[in-house]
Amino acid sequence: MNDKDKKEYDVIIIGGGATGAGTARDCSMRGLSVLLLERFDYTSGATGRNHGLLHSGARYAVNDMESASECIKENMVLKKIASHCVEDTSGLFITLPEDDLSYQNKFIDSCLAAGIKAEAIDPKDAIRMEPSVNKSLQGAVVVPDGSVDPFRLTIANILDANAHGARTLVFHEVTGFIREQDRIVGVKVFDHKQKEQKSFYGKVIVNAAGIWGHHIAELAGVNISMYPAKGALLIFGHRVNNVVLNRCRKAGDADILVPGDMICVIGTTSSHVSYDEIDNMYVTSSEVELLLREGEKLAPSLSTTRILRAYAGVRPLVASDDDPTGRNISRGIVLLDHEQRDGLSGFITITGGKLMTYRLMAEWATDLVCKKLNNNKECETATTPLPGSRGVKEETEYSEVIPVNIQRTERYRHGELAAQIAKEDKFDHSLVCECENVTVGEVNYAFQELAADTLTALRRRTRIGMGTCQGELCACRAAGLLSHVHQCSNRAKEELSSFLNERWKGMYPIAWGDCLRESQLAAWIYNSVCGLSDYNRKEERKDAV
Amino acid sequence: MRYDVVIIGGGLSGLTCGIRLQEAGKNCAIISTGQSALHFSSGAFDFLNKLPDGTRVMHPLDAIKRLGGNHPYRKIGEEKIREYVADVQDWFGKSGIVLHGDVEKNHYCLSPIGIIKSAWLSFDDFEPLETADAFPYKRVAVANFAGFIDFYPRFIADALAEKGVECRIEILNIPAVEKLRTNPTEMRSANIARVFDSEAQLENVLTLINDLSEEVDAVILPAVLGLSSVYPLEYIRKYSEKPVFFISPVPPSVPGIRVQKRLQERFVELGGTFFLGDTVEKAFFDGDTVIGITTNNHSDIQFYAEQYVLASGSFFSKGIISRSNEIYEPVLNADVEYDSQRDNWFCKNVFDVQPYMSYGVKTDTGFHPLRDGVPVRNMFAIGSVLSGYNPLEEGCGSGVAILTALHVANTILISD
Repeated sequence: MNDKDKKEYDVIIIGGGATGAGTARDCSMRGLSVLLLERFDYTSGATGRNHGLLHSGARYAVNDMESASECIKENMVLKKIASHCVEDTSGLFITLPEDDLSYQNKFIDSCLAAGIKAEAIDPKDAIRMEPSVNKSLQGAVVVPDGSVDPFRLTIANILDANAHGARTLVFHEVTGFIREQDRIVGVKVFDHKQKEQKSFYGKVIVNAAGIWGHHIAELAGVNISMYPAKGALLIFGHRVNNVVLNRCRKAGDADILVPGDMICVIGTTSSHVSYDEIDNMYVTSSEVELLLREGEKLAPSLSTTRILRAYAGVRPLVASDDDPTGRNISRGIVLLDHEQRDGLSGFITITGGKLMTYRLMAEWATDLVCKKLNNNKECETATTPLPGSRGVKEETEYSEVIPVNIQRTERYRHGELAAQIAKEDKFDHSLVCECENVTVGEVNYAFQELAADTLTALRRRTRIGMGTCQGELCACRAAGLLSHVHQCSNRAKEELSSFLNERWKGMYPIAWGDCLRESQLAAWIYNSVCGLSDYNRKEERKDAV
Repeated sequence: MRYDVVIIGGGLSGLTCGIRLQEAGKNCAIISTGQSALHFSSGAFDFLNKLPDGTRVMHPLDAIKRLGGNHPYRKIGEEKIREYVADVQDWFGKSGIVLHGDVEKNHYCLSPIGIIKSAWLSFDDFEPLETADAFPYKRVAVANFAGFIDFYPRFIADALAEKGVECRIEILNIPAVEKLRTNPTEMRSANIARVFDSEAQLENVLTLINDLSEEVDAVILPAVLGLSSVYPLEYIRKYSEKPVFFISPVPPSVPGIRVQKRLQERFVELGGTFFLGDTVEKAFFDGDTVIGITTNNHSDIQFYAEQYVLASGSFFSKGIISRSNEIYEPVLNADVEYDSQRDNWFCKNVFDVQPYMSYGVKTDTGFHPLRDGVPVRNMFAIGSVLSGYNPLEEGCGSGVAILTALHVANTILISD
């Protein structure tokens, strides 16, 4: 049977974040037939809206030993299986004059108890290790923090799932369940691209929809009480620090500064939001001010560094008590077998946890699926490297016809898979995005091999438009290439419009100084030169004078 | 250094003002950071495309009376504007800039992504369209240079197909342009234009155009010809077998850079002094009078003049500067029109009217900038540093730049 016509699967996974992708990989590696359904694009929820911190677990050590030890184990796993997504920067927990230095001992003891290497160093050595750190620090502890690119990580899981036969569909939204008495046997789906209803059948359905899992569970007729906790973050247009900076105190707002690619990220805030707001997360002025105020305490030079954008995600925490901040809810993994919990078989939910523990969450979920399907195959995801992390050839094997810096960037982003990026034609290495070194070849590779058929998806796959100019010209160029792929310029115009609006959403909360200058130029190019605002306001045309 | 007039800013407004003054025998200096909005030009000057309420404007002169009293056009007055625009095409012609169009009436042009836009006076490269719905040719070839990703033939072809035009997309392979592609960042419009400053290369492109034009009525090309002169345009037009119709790629704009260059050259030919790559730092005052200014490159030598003109542009050119809690004008600390609540500077939809676009320096009706509400006696503000209008929404950026410049030049000349 043609893959496209297949309607029945062993397991259907709802959600294309890290957890869903990881579960698809794990299930398919254990020989199950897998279908993954994602409402929008991969990584469009909390997976793509966090620090990109490869936690050592130190942050949780004092209050949540279980999460802390999960973190450090997964930290070590990811360094092995996802080397092309991870940067082993190491991290510092610093004590500032306003913090209580005595917390440091408690912190180190808890770290060690959780299996996290934590060593106090002289503040002078900390300054040598990370020159951007606040020079007034009173104490510093080195921990094995790092940074992780959640976009690459998730796509690598999808690619491996596909390689093991899994079918993964984006822009497929689950709208309902098919029940037979007390059993879920399938899902009803709306395909946003083809604008049609579909049904798929699965022996087990896994709800891995993050915070949206609350709604998915409702559709299935069971209740999970989620606690939507908004976290806002700021991206700076310069890699101020090379070592992750944290505050050595009880976890609070804006106390982590993570370097990644050419930028660094400060975050987060934590505030409860109502469930109906989760699809529209805007960063407020007061959140921006708080992030800046606290960020400058970690690295004072942030006060003079250009801010690129502001964004916010929603943590999929499972509510347990009346904590208004959401910080005291365990970040631990929640696996619900609805057969046992609610008497509804064929349906499980994997939630809670965090990006760091996505693989472990996937393993737990897959173990439960396998148990239900009497599959005894062992989990191998902790030891099998992901595609992209299977070893890049030596430097000597760089092609001579393409600038080496471009090849380096491609390998940095795609590992050994960079070999699949077309290089024969000079056109393939024309630069589309100068800020992030993205070529025509890489764009076409993402269109064809990485399921990117929107500009926003392209951004997540390649970093196009993520650099200093935030898509000023590269967005238009990419839209040009997209119009070529789809042979349709109207769709490309729609894509360009929504891409620019998505970029603006992260820019206007911080639009002053250079950001406002850049916004004005972009508005000039897209609205005045290209006429895109007229295009988006067709209906408003009034009579002429 | 002493001049009759010192102009801060060398974009469209500053140069227009400077040229007009030099023509009348004044000795002017222009101090320019080197950036100009002309580099990002659409390829046409706009005068007024829309009223602030969204009403489309086809006859801009007749629409002036419907603008608010704070709009720069209202400060100049309709009568004066009619006087200035009457010979504006001839006036630019003296700088070697040919402008197509009718000063009384807007025309249409195709944007880089195939959207029909209004324009007032189009640069030499562009053929104005009389109506929004029709295109003068039935069958066209939309040609692009191989590897040039700032021009989108598919967008243009689809837009023309909607108007009933039969389109073919063609790729031109020219070895000298190919060479640019060895360096991934070189394949940009200004670099292509430099290749075609050579006549031999023009012959190559002409041959290719003629080869593909047999079965079509016209050939469309990206407007990347003629960085320093219009000769390449004239050459192609003279020798091509079928009409060649140019459409702008996305910026940088070769026609815009050419206009900037021609204006700069004209100003210098007339005896003006153009300080390129310098930034004005501070103006010094005696009460309501500027007594001198200092610049980054000439911190020890002040510039003195009878009159000063502030043509320093908007946010992008740093004519006004925003911080998280304020917007200010850096040279004389002039009063700036803006909302003190930052949340009110923006709309959440990027395609809605953005209030920040209207922010700028406050002036009296004679374009004297205000400081603490008091007009500066011997200084004028012109162009996009001004408040009171939204250049993007109203489509009046270049019109305001040109007309406030001519008006202020006139005011200075009359005051003698």
